[in-house]
Amino acid sequence: MAHIHLGEGTFPLWALALWTTIGAILVAAVVYRVRKGGIKTHQIALAGIGAAASFAVFQLNIPVWGGIHMNLTGLVGILAGPLLGSLIALVVNIFSAALGHGAVGLIGANTLVNASEAIVAYYMFKTLMGMDWDVFPASTSAATVGLSAGAFLMGAIIVISGVNGSALPRGDLTIAVAGLVGLNLGVAVIEGLLTGFIVNFLASVRPDLVGLADRDTQEEPTGVTA
Amino acid sequence: MTTLSNHVPDPRLITAFAERQDGPLHRVNPWTKVGVVGALVLAVTVLDRLALLAGLYGTVLGIYGLAGLPYRRLIGWYTLPMLFIVSVAGPLAFFEPGTPIGGSLSTPLGGLSVTWAGLSLFLELTCRSLTVVTFALTASMTTKYTDVAYILGRLLPRPIDQIALLTYRFTFVMLETLEDLVKAALSRGANLAEFWSNRRLYARILGMTMLSAIEQSERLVKSMEARGYNGDITLYGDVSRPPVRELVIVVGSYSAIIGYGVVAVYEVGL
Repeated sequence: MAHIHLGEGTFPLWALALWTTIGAILVAAVVYRVRKGGIKTHQIALAGIGAAASFAVFQLNIPVWGGIHMNLTGLVGILAGPLLGSLIALVVNIFSAALGHGAVGLIGANTLVNASEAIVAYYMFKTLMGMDWDVFPASTSAATVGLSAGAFLMGAIIVISGVNGSALPRGDLTIAVAGLVGLNLGVAVIEGLLTGFIVNFLASVRPDLVGLADRDTQEEPTGVTA
Repeated sequence: MTTLSNHVPDPRLITAFAERQDGPLHRVNPWTKVGVVGALVLAVTVLDRLALLAGLYGTVLGIYGLAGLPYRRLIGWYTLPMLFIVSVAGPLAFFEPGTPIGGSLSTPLGGLSVTWAGLSLFLELTCRSLTVVTFALTASMTTKYTDVAYILGRLLPRPIDQIALLTYRFTFVMLETLEDLVKAALSRGANLAEFWSNRRLYARILGMTMLSAIEQSERLVKSMEARGYNGDITLYGDVSRPPVRELVIVVGSYSAIIGYGVVAVYEVGL
């Protein structure tokens, strides 16, 4: 998750309604697709615990630029796929908002940003693996591009909406927001690299998780402990 | 939590406050709190004067204290929301047109200064954000686990409600797992103070957290299917309807905000 969230009250009322509606349409489309395919128990369990892990990982302080926090949305997209990845993004945003991280009124906008990260990362990873890339460069590139897409989308959402109470023309607002997007792109590169290392590690212990082996052949858990 | 960040609210601490304390807000109906959160979101979006926003923030801050919750922790938890505010509102404070405060700094692109309008915008955005952050934390720290689970189950459509309920249940388990992994690495002499030289260790810790999550989900599937899971996680709790006096407060809040917006902000009919 590109780290900057949109705070409460940042946007005027019409923009809040717009992004909530678009976010709701995205979630409704995902729920429709998931229901249409028949909800599998393993999908529910994976999404629920994957969201819990993503939420827990956020608690870890990564010592870069004084400390950054990550939800690993790109990784979630690669492992869970675009549909479950989008639902995980929504659930993580709901729980984050309840803990004062993010915004209740902007769950729609924040979910759009995070879901785009998961979706882009998933398809990019599949494409690169299909082109016979190694796991590390494929996952690093996929997560970085996915998170960068989210950063640009967030910048676009702010510029389209305008900032509540600001008289700044859209052109000047675009320049002001460019710095924020640039900061997020920097975090995207770091999170992309970290995602690459994690996927590389996962591929070495459970290759089925990243599509390198048949999932049905993996019968026994690896027994992860501290 | 000693090994993980202390400027992100720990869900275990939040839940402990909800379960073990008994302040005035613990006795308020959870549906009322949900209603007030919605009213506050509307208020911070509609209100357009710094004095009103500051007054609202002060009121919410007072309610937080009234509930017997710790201000010292709150200051730490403001770190990330403030970072978000500074990221968006910081540059705007310089770009916002208006009268400069003090002198301006010469740059190759022209003079750079914070304007009074920019400062006012920064303070407005701070009050807007922190008002809801503070009340969201207040509501989370005064609502019991079973009530939160019941509300999640009622508010969200299937299968999102199922995912959210599992997330809520397993957040505590995953936190323990992550904390154990970090403690284990530290006890083996690892130094997590520098990222790049420890990038593989970070990857192993986070990778094992995700792997642990996936393997727990695989075990959970077997247990859910053995119990005849049919797409519904049964909740045994119940949250009653709010009492009339609380309903009056919620409806009154929405009416006042909508009335103010219609008359003072959007000037409908004037």
